[in-house]
Formats: sequence, structure tokens, C-alpha cells
Amino acid sequence: MLEKAKVSFFLASRSIVRGNRGITIFTVFVLTLIFVQLVLFSSMLAGVTLKFNELMVDFQTGNVVVEPTEEERYIESASALQKKIESLPQVVGTSARLKTTGNFRYKEKEMGGTVYGIDPADEIFVTGLEDAVISGEFLSRPDRGEIILGREVSGSFGALMESRSLGGVEVGDTVELTVSGKTREFRVKGIYTTRYFMADASAYLSRADMEEMLGIENRDFAQEIAVKTTAGTDEYETRNALLSLGVRENIRTWHEFAGILRLIENTLGLVRNIMNAIGLLIAFVIIFVVIYVNIVNKKRQIGVQKAIGIEQNVIVASFVLQAMLYAGTGIILGYAFMRFGLVPYTESNPVEIPLGAMSLRLDDAEAINRAFLLFLASIIGSVIPAYKLAQKDLLDLIWGK
Amino acid sequence: MGNEVRNKVKEEVKTEHEDKVKKEAKDEMKNEMKGEMKNEIKNEMKGEPEKKENGNKTEIEMKTTPGENSDIIIEGIDIVRTFKMGEVQVRALRGVNVKIRRGEFVAIMGPSGSGKTTLLNQLGLLDTPNSGRVIIDETDTSRMPDREKGKFRLHNLGYVFQDYALLPELDASENVYISLMMQGKTKEEYESAAAEILTAVGLGDRLHQLPSKMSGGQQQRVSIARALAHNPRVLFADEPCANLDSQTSKEVLDLFKKFNKEMGQTIVMVTHEDWHAAYADRVIRLKDGILE
Repeated sequence: MLEKAKVSFFLASRSIVRGNRGITIFTVFVLTLIFVQLVLFSSMLAGVTLKFNELMVDFQTGNVVVEPTEEERYIESASALQKKIESLPQVVGTSARLKTTGNFRYKEKEMGGTVYGIDPADEIFVTGLEDAVISGEFLSRPDRGEIILGREVSGSFGALMESRSLGGVEVGDTVELTVSGKTREFRVKGIYTTRYFMADASAYLSRADMEEMLGIENRDFAQEIAVKTTAGTDEYETRNALLSLGVRENIRTWHEFAGILRLIENTLGLVRNIMNAIGLLIAFVIIFVVIYVNIVNKKRQIGVQKAIGIEQNVIVASFVLQAMLYAGTGIILGYAFMRFGLVPYTESNPVEIPLGAMSLRLDDAEAINRAFLLFLASIIGSVIPAYKLAQKDLLDLIWGK
Repeated sequence: MGNEVRNKVKEEVKTEHEDKVKKEAKDEMKNEMKGEMKNEIKNEMKGEPEKKENGNKTEIEMKTTPGENSDIIIEGIDIVRTFKMGEVQVRALRGVNVKIRRGEFVAIMGPSGSGKTTLLNQLGLLDTPNSGRVIIDETDTSRMPDREKGKFRLHNLGYVFQDYALLPELDASENVYISLMMQGKTKEEYESAAAEILTAVGLGDRLHQLPSKMSGGQQQRVSIARALAHNPRVLFADEPCANLDSQTSKEVLDLFKKFNKEMGQTIVMVTHEDWHAAYADRVIRLKDGILE
């Protein structure tokens, strides 16, 4: 058994080292490209998912959200709870928000959306909304009667759902807002975009204005407290820390708000799997063709090997080993290209996509999985032609028939 | 071919005929010497599946009755080989009976299409006859499966092809020792055996040269070394000098003769040149698939 493996390896190694360099380089190059193709889409998907998550954390939820218990409508004594939460070392800031749905009206157009009543001084520690303003300015604490609109509400500024929007509100215009049956006019102070359409379909006004509209003035109520933690802090640890502090309200991590994102991610995952299957099929066909051409050119050699007593399975194994070495080299080169080339490149030069700047994320577990599948394809793609030819009649092979 | 070479060959052949009687005696002795090593291989080949323990005696099923035929190394009995070429059946061999003695150098001759190579392929187990039997050293090979035939060839037979048939990606030494490697010999064993036999064929200084860097004659010598490296019972050569010039052909044939005389190597060679055949002890002539 060992002798046979030795002879197979010997024949394979000599064939690679002394065989046609052009064919070897071409085969390895093609396999490298196939591997890159197999991991590239996954890396893009991982990059997009990460971007989605970042947008959600940075512009909507923060890392953790504290909500009233199921029986309650509001968190009472919100400022006291905020202080309590902020006592945790990993907490960067908290923002107590009043959150409701409202109806916007501008000229002839109307639309519904989420409206937040915030304390601007607190909000800037939790979300990056201040930096997301693309026209006008962000709210400041003493502001009254002023509102910040997301671009999906205002329209223009490249809104994705322009027809649903108010159709081109500009800073300084006045919009009507109806909340809980009360209608008030607000001057548009700023328009923002996070590039995340769900966050952009909202509006922000001061807590005082919102309290007034909800009829809860000076009650220190909040409907959610968004909590921002230091980078790298695990959300579940923060939740546990909050529970240890005696916070009785509902504590949810941002993951629990990512329902639609998971849906998108799963859909993209399905597309990715289909693309992987096609990629593997292409890999299989290419390996099959390359090995087949290689073997057909060596018909006579196979015949001679059989004639001098080299066993058929040793000959087949030598071709399979060649294919495995090609695939192995292709995988290593492809991985090196991704890990040390393309991924770092996109990290330093992010790709602009509608969601913002995105870089590739290479997941090693996925890469290993793709490498394994490619290896398998190379084995099957080489066994079939090698076995078929080695099985032919010895004299037919020697005579090149 | 020049007359000079032809005369020289004839002279050598004449001398060889005079020496034949002496040679036969010598051969017997050499065969005894070779026998020990060959028996090892033989036993390996005729191994377990065929063995039946019967008291202290070991019987081998494939063996024919020893005795009067023990000096016959190959026996072809009523060999028929038919090829199908499109719709037409071509009878390449029509019942050939042939016996080759141990240590004999036999040439197979005949016009084109007479079935020379076909007969060699049947005797050398490279092909299977439609009917008839090939018995090599008392082993009936006619019922051997392909896998067993492969093993038998690996351990017992050597081949020299018309166009050398070396593996281009292996150097001279590797081409020679590949079959020894397959036999499971150690690195030291197969490397030294290859070096020894390549030196014997005059290529001791070209062990690591690739076939593409060698002349036709040198390649054919590597091919001979490969065929002889594992001490085969029979060496088959199919027009080994067809692609060589006269001088190189002579060198190759001299090598054959040397191994035949000095080692008692049984050689079966197909040729269509009379002066090549003159090297042989006996000539088998074929015409239209039957012995003349």
C-alpha cells in the first residue's frame, strides 16, 4: 500500500516539476481564480452585513436598548435610570427617547413615519446623527418648534423612496406634524441621511416638544433608553451588567432589532449558496477538462506504465494527486491573495456602495469550507477521466487509440 | 547497412554457433544462479490465492505438470487472435504453436501484417488471445485476470519497444527504477540497481539525464536497462532497432547478445532485418498469422 502511494506521489511530483510548465501555471491560476470567486461573494456579503449592523448601531439603536416592561407604556424616572446606567464603566452615553409614529404633511403631500423626541446633548453620545446631517444643522438643547428630517421623509438628497416622501422639503421650510391627534407646525432645521433607509425614514425633535404633543410634560418619561458602549464590549455582557445593577426594564441588544436585516442577510446567503454551487460546477468542469487534456496527451505513457506493471490505481492516484496539488496551490494562493491583498486593500480603500463605504470581510471558517469543496471537486474531476482512460486496453493506449 | 558491418555480424554469429554447445552448459549453471532470486519473485507472484497446502507439499494451481517441459520457458498453444477493424474481422494469428527455451534468443520474423508483433504481445501478456494458451515458466496465464497479469509483468517480464517508450518526465535512472519502486524495493536497492544496470549498458555517466536530452541509441539503452533491471525471466523486444541507424542498432543488438550470453537472459525479439535476426539463436517465421 505504502509502495503504491509512494509510486503515485513520485509520478505526480515528477509530472508537475518536469511536465509542461504552461499547463501547470494555467491550471493553478484558474483554480486560484475559482477559489477567490468562491470566497469573494461571501466576503462581500459579510462586509455588507457588517455595514448594516454598524449603521443600525451607530444611527438607531446604540448597542443596547432599555424599554418599559410589558405592562408599562413609559419608563418612569428616566433621568435617574440614565444616571444608573451611565455608572457602568463600559457605557459611553445614554439617550432617553420618546418614540411614536406621526403623520407629516408638506404642501399637498403626506406621509407617516417614526418620530423621536430626544435630548440632543445626550443623543450625540449615542448615535452619529449629528454627523449625518447633510443640510442645515442638528438640534440643540434649547431648540423648540424645530425638527430634523431623514431624507426618506424630506425627499431629494438621493432618497430611495422619493415618491413616498414629502417630495423635496428643504431646510427652513415648515412641515405639519400630527401625533396623537395633535397637529403642530415645525420648522425644518436639518436633513440627515445615514444611508440606512430605516433610520432615514424618521424625524427628530426635542423632548420638550414631544412631551407637549403627547401630553406628558415634565414627567421624566421615556419610551426607550438607547445605550452606547465602548468599542468591543459584548452586548450580552452589558445586558448582564445592567441586570446586576437592578434594572427591571426590558433590556434588548441591537441584534434583536435586526429582524429585517437577518431577512436580507438570509436572502443574500441563499444567493451566495447558489453562486457557490455554480462556482464549484465550473471548477469541476475546468479541472475535468484540464486533467482530461493532460491525460489524453499521456495516453501512451499510461499504456507504457501499465505494460511495465504499474497498477491502474497507482496511475489514477498519480493524476488525482496532481489535481490535489494544483487545487492546494490554487487555494493557498487564492487565500493569500484575499487575506493579504484584497481584504486589506478594501480596508484601506473602502468600496462605495449605496449603504456607504464597505470593505471585504474574510471569514476563515467559510474559506476552509470553500477550500474543502474545491478540493473535493478536484478529486472527482480528476478521478473520472483518469480512471476512464487508465481502464482502456493496454495496447490501445500504447498505440494512442 | 554497410557490408563491413554485415560481415562482422556474420562472423560473430558464426563464432556464437560454435560456442552454442558450451553456452548451453553454461546457461544451465547460470540459470541455477539466477534461479534463486527468480524463485523468490516467482513465489511472490504465484502467491497465496493460488496456493493449496497439502501436507508438506505446496501445489500451485496454475502450474502445468513439471518434467519434460521444464526447460521451456514460454509455450504458446494454438494461439488465435482476431481484431475487429470496422465491420471486418482480421485474423492476425490463426492458431500459432510456439515453444521458447530458457536462455534462448529468439527472433520473430515475417512480412508486414504477418502477425509478428501480435504474437509478441500475446507471449508478453500485453494482449489476450481470443483462444489458445500462453504458458510462461510453467504458469498458465490464459485465465489470469488483468490485475494479476500486470503483477506478473512487473515481476517476470521486461519490454523494449520500437520507440523506446520512456517516460519523458523521468530521468534515465528514474525510468529504470520505477518498476523496482513498484515492486516495493527500498530506495537504496532500486537506486543502486538502476545505477548498476545503466552502467552495464554504458550509460553510467548519464543517470540523471532526461530522455529528451539523449540520442535515440541512448534512449533505447535506457529502455533495455529498464527492461532488465528487475531480472525478468523473459525480455520482449518489438523491433528495438527500427528507429536506429546501423551502428547504433549493432550496439543495441550487441547488448542483447551480451545479456543473453553472459546472463542467460531469454530474449524474444521481433525484427524484419535479417542481420538483426542473425544475432538470435533461432528464428520463428510467420506468414499470414501462421508459422512458416
